[in-house]
Amino acid sequence: MIDVNIVGDSPPRRESVLKVTGQATYTDDLLIPGMVYGMVVRSPHAHAKVKNINIEVALKVPGVLGILGPEDVPRQNFNCAGSPPSPLLVKDEQILTDHPRHVGDRIAAVVAETRSACEQVIQKIQIEYEILPAVFTVKKAMAADAPLLHPQTTSNNIFKTITANQGDIDQGLAQSEIVFSDVFQLPAVQHVAMEPITCICHFIGKDSLTIWGTTQTPFQERRVLSELLGLPESQIRIIKPFMGGGFGARQQLHNQHIGALLSKAVKRPVKIINTREEEMYASAVRHEVTANLKIGVNRSGLLQAFDAELFFNAGAYGSHSPVVAAAASRKLQYKIPHYRYQGHCVFTNAPVAGAMRGYGNPQLSFAREIMMDRIAKELNMDPVAFRLLNHIKVGEKFPAATDAIQSCAIEDCVQGANRIKLAIDKKAKLQINKSENEINRDWGVAFACHTSGPSSNEGMSGCLMVANDDGSIQLMTGSADIGQGSETTLSQVAAEVLGLTLADVAVTAADTGHTPYDTGTFASSQMYVAGNAVKKAADNLLSRLKLALAEKYDVPMENIVWEKHQFIISKHNKSDELDFKQAIQQVTFHQKGTIIMGSASFKAGASPPPFAVCWAQVAADRYTNSLKVLHVIEAVDVGTAINPKIVSGQVEGGISMGVGYAMMEQVEINHRSQKPISSDLLHYRIPLSTDMPETHVYIAKSYEPTGPLGAKSVGELATVPVAAAIANAVANVLGEPVNKLPFSLQSVPANYRLFTRTGEMEHKEVNDDN
Amino acid sequence: MEVQEIKVEIEVNGTFQQLTVAPQTTLLELLREQIGLKGTKQGCGVGQCGACTVLLNGNPVNTCSLLAVQAHGHKVETIESVANQDQLHPLQEAFVAEHAVQCGFCTPGMVMSSIALLKKTSQPKRKEILQAISGNTCRCTGYSKIVKAVEHVVDDRITRITISPDREAVHD
Repeated sequence: MIDVNIVGDSPPRRESVLKVTGQATYTDDLLIPGMVYGMVVRSPHAHAKVKNINIEVALKVPGVLGILGPEDVPRQNFNCAGSPPSPLLVKDEQILTDHPRHVGDRIAAVVAETRSACEQVIQKIQIEYEILPAVFTVKKAMAADAPLLHPQTTSNNIFKTITANQGDIDQGLAQSEIVFSDVFQLPAVQHVAMEPITCICHFIGKDSLTIWGTTQTPFQERRVLSELLGLPESQIRIIKPFMGGGFGARQQLHNQHIGALLSKAVKRPVKIINTREEEMYASAVRHEVTANLKIGVNRSGLLQAFDAELFFNAGAYGSHSPVVAAAASRKLQYKIPHYRYQGHCVFTNAPVAGAMRGYGNPQLSFAREIMMDRIAKELNMDPVAFRLLNHIKVGEKFPAATDAIQSCAIEDCVQGANRIKLAIDKKAKLQINKSENEINRDWGVAFACHTSGPSSNEGMSGCLMVANDDGSIQLMTGSADIGQGSETTLSQVAAEVLGLTLADVAVTAADTGHTPYDTGTFASSQMYVAGNAVKKAADNLLSRLKLALAEKYDVPMENIVWEKHQFIISKHNKSDELDFKQAIQQVTFHQKGTIIMGSASFKAGASPPPFAVCWAQVAADRYTNSLKVLHVIEAVDVGTAINPKIVSGQVEGGISMGVGYAMMEQVEINHRSQKPISSDLLHYRIPLSTDMPETHVYIAKSYEPTGPLGAKSVGELATVPVAAAIANAVANVLGEPVNKLPFSLQSVPANYRLFTRTGEMEHKEVNDDN
Repeated sequence: MEVQEIKVEIEVNGTFQQLTVAPQTTLLELLREQIGLKGTKQGCGVGQCGACTVLLNGNPVNTCSLLAVQAHGHKVETIESVANQDQLHPLQEAFVAEHAVQCGFCTPGMVMSSIALLKKTSQPKRKEILQAISGNTCRCTGYSKIVKAVEHVVDDRITRITISPDREAVHD
């Protein structure tokens, strides 16, 4: 067992002081000499053909430097996703298009001296469109008369179907004593990272490109850009400055390609910043999903069959969709002999769906956990006991998976959450002063799991570690800290292994020119994948140091042991003890002096699931017809919590995103005008401080044998069960089944309300048992 | 087109600034582009997220939705003025210690709104804290550690206030 020292403590994040004083430089804070501004001309139509573009007048606007249209840029199709290469990723997108397929599609781009000049130029560009029929829902897109959005890819708009199977689903359903079946509907939602998507692209000469920008996956973007622009990866440097969140939205290319081409055209650095409106419908959204779910169970409570058919609204382009559909199939944490999963990816003219925190998991978990509650109720079982009865344990495999899991502290999660819940209930009993008739409250529960690194086991990360001559170290990792705190936790791992303080570790990260490859910040990878690379590199550094010590002291290797952060060197019945810094100083400056450098490549062989148990307490007010979430408790098994406050911060943030998903968020489109309604933060609300319930976090005791110092992941997991727990609480408090999000006034059934919407008292007697 | 320019005089972080701006220049643009104070952030540009909050005569305002000319003759305090050289303000210290900072993009605005509250009310209740930062959206933290950080400062202040009379007595 590792001597836990810096790990398990919650030192402040490395960069917090810069952030609280306003000194942290985000992309928009950077000024590159000669820099000018770019802006994308976006389609106002959901589906159209560009007949003509007239730039004559626009070119006369003072400050204009250039305008690029579809004819001026490479026409090759690509996929924007920041994922490792995969046959699942459809190449159907172009840098600029004359066939826009969603509102916000890129038609042209302008470059000018100032942002306001860009705006004026765009206003003067005359574009003639032929408007084509558009469809926004999966149902309409699958109809026989629907317009075909990518005829070269599919003969209908279903462009990929992902399947997973175990056992025989028909047999499983037939032999189940009860079969539950329902359809669940989840809305598209947007990430709303606080920093808008920004890039500065700088073409130097003809064949060297540097990009500073908001990116979760610099190495993937470099690869796609290399193919698109015909440059070797060595000539493309992508640098991630401080970044104001991501949540998946920046796991893809946005404006970097067109920014690079604008820079190439004007031979100056070009900065492009998305407006909040562009963020809302012209970047990425979480998939709207229709989920048909059937679960077969025996009266004893044992699950027999799980049949899920999901329709993913991919929006206008393939992007991440098939990978999202595949990932959703691998998050089933119950023992089920007969399992069938079908995930259909469907093109529509809605905003393009991409990666968002949970990557398909929140949608299916929502449907599953609501149905688990219904089953428990029908069988007269406790909802938690029923879930535990069917839960995967250490040494068992998820349905349709090949490897057994090696850590699972679900019972500790259950107990930890329950202790908090009991304390809340105990306190609340003393405080209830309103009549039970007016405000009712109840709890709902949901379980979830996720992954540590891509569930396809594609996670890979390199780490370089160089010892300075005073024994402090330079840590170089490709891993991108986008606000989750990975530079701090990765430093903690290095410091722990080497017996150093946090201040002894300097991090250079996410710069393709200076750091080795990392798959990227997605799939909750950083702690597990990059963390394992850091651990391995630190071990490698130690073994090289040991070799140098053996040479310096002229002793065989077996005479040197590293124990409790000390080298013990035995020579002539004497022994010397050196800590890491002393050892480095011994080997650096002398006749056979040497520089100690460690390196490691870690390729994930697994993607161990973290687990969560979430309780939500919801109050329904019969006077105002409103629903309010009062408490959310989330207990998580993340393996070793390297920095517990970073873990609880991730959980609290995940809860707030789950509260938004459940209570208010939905990217809406006006189907008649064929325009997005959700164009700003008034028409798309995210939880404010005053919207938040009390949040409570419990971190279970757990250790993942394959994780760095026992760690798994937390980021995405945290948000997955929240909406389902709230939904189950809503169902319990209203006494009505629920199967769609978000909740709103309409969610409170008429027979529950004391007043109608016009304010009249309902004549119907209110049944207190509801 | 003739570009009209207007002279403005604004006290920014204790320094008297005389600047020439275009009529449509926002206070945010003035701070970021003309004076070079990059700590104040633009999250939405339309007054809905609070990332660009500064204090105008002590009151929190969204600088993206305020014209620079409207700040003429007034006093502006930005995030850069909060720490005293290398000495962090107790609220900044609390933000760091409580892990109230994640991506950090909302942080400058969040700090300014909280400071405005603490200037008005020395012992705000939780509800007042929630209210004071309700114009500042944060997508990372779920707000709880931010509220804790402000409460931490309040508790600290209460402790100091209750302790100080005794201390003075000892000194006497």
